[in-house]
Amino acid sequence: MYAWKCWRETRASFIFLLMMSTAVALLITLAPGLTEQNGWWHFDRGEYLRNPWPTAQMVTIQVLSSLGAMGFLSALFFGATAPGSELESGTIEYLWTRPRTRTSVTWTHWGVCLSEMLIVALVPINLAAALLGGLTRSWQMPLLLLTPWIIFIVGVPMLGLTTLMTALRRSGKGGLLYTAGVVSVYVIVRQIVIVPLHLNPPTLFAGPLFWLWNNKPFVPLSAFPWGSLWRAVFLAVAFPLAAQYLLKRGEV
Amino acid sequence: MSEVAIFTEGLSKSFGAQVAVSELSLRIQPGTVYGFLGRNGAGKTTTMRMLLGLVRPTKGRARVLGLDPTREAELLRILERVAFVPQRKQLYGWATPAELLRMNKAYFPRWSDDAAAQLAKRLEIPMKMAFKKLSIGNQSKVALLLALAQGAEVLILDEPTAGLDPVMVDEILRTLIEDHISQGRTIFVSSHHLGEVEQICDWVGILEQGRLLLESRLEEIRQEFRLVIASGEGLPAGPSGEVVSATTDGRFRRYVVSREAERFAGELRNQGATILEISPIGLRELFLHLVRKEDACTPGNAGAKPAPVSSFS
Repeated sequence: MYAWKCWRETRASFIFLLMMSTAVALLITLAPGLTEQNGWWHFDRGEYLRNPWPTAQMVTIQVLSSLGAMGFLSALFFGATAPGSELESGTIEYLWTRPRTRTSVTWTHWGVCLSEMLIVALVPINLAAALLGGLTRSWQMPLLLLTPWIIFIVGVPMLGLTTLMTALRRSGKGGLLYTAGVVSVYVIVRQIVIVPLHLNPPTLFAGPLFWLWNNKPFVPLSAFPWGSLWRAVFLAVAFPLAAQYLLKRGEV
Repeated sequence: MSEVAIFTEGLSKSFGAQVAVSELSLRIQPGTVYGFLGRNGAGKTTTMRMLLGLVRPTKGRARVLGLDPTREAELLRILERVAFVPQRKQLYGWATPAELLRMNKAYFPRWSDDAAAQLAKRLEIPMKMAFKKLSIGNQSKVALLLALAQGAEVLILDEPTAGLDPVMVDEILRTLIEDHISQGRTIFVSSHHLGEVEQICDWVGILEQGRLLLESRLEEIRQEFRLVIASGEGLPAGPSGEVVSATTDGRFRRYVVSREAERFAGELRNQGATILEISPIGLRELFLHLVRKEDACTPGNAGAKPAPVSSFS
């Protein structure tokens, strides 16, 4: 029943993000065919048929740019409803006096949000891929089909970080703001260090996202940032584990 | 249910330098209705939270139905068998009482749909309105409904009737008496409404600044406890033996005596005191004598010692 409660609390954000992501993905897919003539918009399928591969490449990059941000937002919004947020709202006494372990509560919430994030990433991009496939009459778009998984992989540590910050701040809003703050500080400090020192350190866990972004056709897979991927997997588990540790020791 | 329902021994909790509960020893037998009294901040809520694993004791030990709430596996078994109504009756604002019932039902194997439906009707709870839109009184009723339909062996109620009108308070007390007390369930209740406590409880414990000042059967308070008012010089200043409270009111000294009031009055007379009154004392009066802050020049209850652990019959 706790899973149902998590779903019920995130339902509005989930539907909003799913609809927005779907609309954005479909618009991006249709954009190359839209042309203006005498003040009227027309849809010209010819562009898709003439240059199927570059069009698919362009759509992939644009989908990645737009929906990558959606992935980040969904991680923040879903993470801010983590069990730590109930300390502020005062419902924690109710929750912690149900016969369920705090560990199971933490991971149930994580599982529900993970599923929602996966749906928000998979459904719009697969719809876009189906549309693009129909328009180009070509189903060779591995990078576009890889995009939701990359967004998901990078989004999961963010979900974990927000879950942890929510437990640390004992508040949903606090968790959301602190996560945004930590990410902003990390990005700014990284830039401050990189630019003057001419460094090129690997990204912490967003490597797969940049890899796909900078991907050119026929780049060998060995260039894939596996280190960054493993760090993402590690952090995706480590952050909620830390949140679980805090909540297990938490007092009301 | 052969084990003690609630047991604490030297239970203490400090938040930094602030001592919330100090050396609390309780032994509540199954089927007892125990009124846990005290002023705001006396440590009642912290004690209840320690029993439910919401707060970890700094010292001492607690057992609920023979199980240790500081061990996770045992705590889960406690939570299956104990219902709790917190002081702050906050539930999910978006959920309707009907949804909350469905959600709660899944947690408790002994949940009774019939009891929930009957109680919801009796308490006149609007079941389809979001919790956040309910009045404070109705929110309290929902919290009580969830606890009472749980089929728990022990009810821990922290100011359960706060915010309710007298009709609803009466309804709740009737429900507790008819559906729970009559079935031999243990109730550990804190309340500032001493009339309610007198109505349903058979034991009371009075807590002040984290210490148990007095623990007694309510019947014993009615039959044995007396207020002795005396005047004279050099009279005993503080509580000792059967004297549970000694306060000064102008020229008079007021003693609350737990037993043998006539013998105590005789002793005072032998010391040259004039006895002005020996009268039975109600729970409210006893409570006020024990916990009221006195003028700096009077001893009040500053030196009161915690009551010894009573042996329940």
